[in-house]
Amino acid sequence: MHSFLQNRKIIFMLVFPGFAIFVFAVLFPIGLSIYYGMTDWSGIGSLNFIGQENFKNVLQDGVFWISLKNAAALAFFTVILQHPLALIFALLLDRVGGKSEKFFRTVFFIPCIISIIVTSKMWVNIYNSQYGLLNKVLELLNLGFLKQQWLGDPDIVLFSVILIMMWQGFGWALLIYYAGIKGLPEDVYEAARIDGANSFQTLFKITVPLLKPVIMVNVIWAVISSLKQMETIYLTTNGGPGNASQFLANYLYIKAFNSYEYGYGNAISVLFVIVCLITVLLLNRVFKTEEY
Amino acid sequence: MGQLKYGTDHDFLKVKTRKLTPFRVIIFFLLIIIAVFQIFPLIWLVDFSLAKDGDLFGPRILIWPDKPQFENYKIAMIDGKIPHYLLNSIIVNVISVSLTVLFSVTMAYAFTRMQWKFKNICFTLILLGMMIPIHATLLPNFTSFRFLGISNSYLGLIIPYIAFTLPLGTFIMTGFIKSIPRSIEESILIDGGGIFHIIFYVIFPLTKPAVITVIIMTFFTTWNDFIMAATYLTSDKFRTLPFAVYNFAGQYASRYAVQFAVMTLVALPSLILYIILNEHITKGITVGAIKG
Repeated sequence: MHSFLQNRKIIFMLVFPGFAIFVFAVLFPIGLSIYYGMTDWSGIGSLNFIGQENFKNVLQDGVFWISLKNAAALAFFTVILQHPLALIFALLLDRVGGKSEKFFRTVFFIPCIISIIVTSKMWVNIYNSQYGLLNKVLELLNLGFLKQQWLGDPDIVLFSVILIMMWQGFGWALLIYYAGIKGLPEDVYEAARIDGANSFQTLFKITVPLLKPVIMVNVIWAVISSLKQMETIYLTTNGGPGNASQFLANYLYIKAFNSYEYGYGNAISVLFVIVCLITVLLLNRVFKTEEY
Repeated sequence: MGQLKYGTDHDFLKVKTRKLTPFRVIIFFLLIIIAVFQIFPLIWLVDFSLAKDGDLFGPRILIWPDKPQFENYKIAMIDGKIPHYLLNSIIVNVISVSLTVLFSVTMAYAFTRMQWKFKNICFTLILLGMMIPIHATLLPNFTSFRFLGISNSYLGLIIPYIAFTLPLGTFIMTGFIKSIPRSIEESILIDGGGIFHIIFYVIFPLTKPAVITVIIMTFFTTWNDFIMAATYLTSDKFRTLPFAVYNFAGQYASRYAVQFAVMTLVALPSLILYIILNEHITKGITVGAIKG
């Protein structure tokens, strides 16, 4: 047994294929980005080494900070609107039981499994100012004065794209809370019932505190995925108008492939990874100190 | 977390009735509102995919076409090259998902059971991989894939898909393998069996719920991916299903109904899969999320 567990040939066989692919397509590119980030390469032609200049410029680039601010806005609205709603509806759903519980659970999750290109292009049509569903519904409800250029107005475009992402992510958040609720121990409720606790006491004194780990994990996940947003933006507004709905991942893509500033785009990539890692570390720290 | 219970009353508010109390009526009312919000946009999409292009500009939010325009779907199928893209999607996803599952299990086994020098470093790097956004690797991978000539083959998708789904897969599998008693493996070794026996006859069957979770998580990530396919592949020959929508948006810009038909067709495979495998998928995702 002992010699088997230390058999190098077996270990190599188990680890190498997967790990090699991982290094090749995840770790090595980060290194390559650091290298290209230090050049002025446009993507074609000659390449000059310019040191830290790109990195300094990114940190002074207004759009970089707008993108981070937009990610923060998305995270904020997800956490204060989508998540409380998802938690409440997970609790309600749990009360329904039987076939209708399964039916609603299925319906809520459908937007999550549909390809992001379909949902994004669909929402572009919903927001269209000439034939879009949203303006028509507003008219139908006698709220015609609320009609907007949903994706064309720089003042509201961010909220429009946030709505798309919250719509698509809602089922996911709900399902995680729902699973958390289903995993709660029955005997605590039995005890509460015997002690004569009412429904609201049970909810706020037992259910919510017991769900705290699930809530924390779900919230951390929401913040990180807010930071990583790209496809929805790329396929709806491409960050526009101006850079009103810009996100980091989309910005680096535009820089490299539309403005032919490949080196600069790579510098953004590197800083993007750093921002993600710092956020994860900070959230984990907050999470840990909160727990005990 | 204990066994997840679906379709049962969890009774968190200690009311066990299934009768139609006013409280239940309110719950159903709220659930229906959210369900409509989640699903109505998709109904709108399907509805107008069967209409004439101009119908979209009418005042109605849903229409009953006098004669459903199935012609739209025919154009979508043929000009959207749906069968071609679908076949590519199936090839790429079957290979990526199988290899991700295999490598996740073998790596997780090496991380939990085997004793080797760089185990902790490798495991930390893999965990780090879960935090690195795919978008930060788009630019360097674009360059290196072209340089190596793999962007003109299925490998241009299979490699990054495995690389980015492997960390979560390995993470989920390590959690499960840890909970398997070692005695079974010891007896296999005594009987003269090797690592092949252990992986395929012990680990795979005993970690079935986790394997299903990894399959589902990997499949939905890679099936719906658009941005990697858009960035890495140079030839339409290897492109996947989301591209049908992307190509159509330009080509048939004013043929709204046909565009809606393409979107419906692209959404359909994962939707059908979800409806058929509903219980497995829900359970798989929640097991993964709660453990992760």
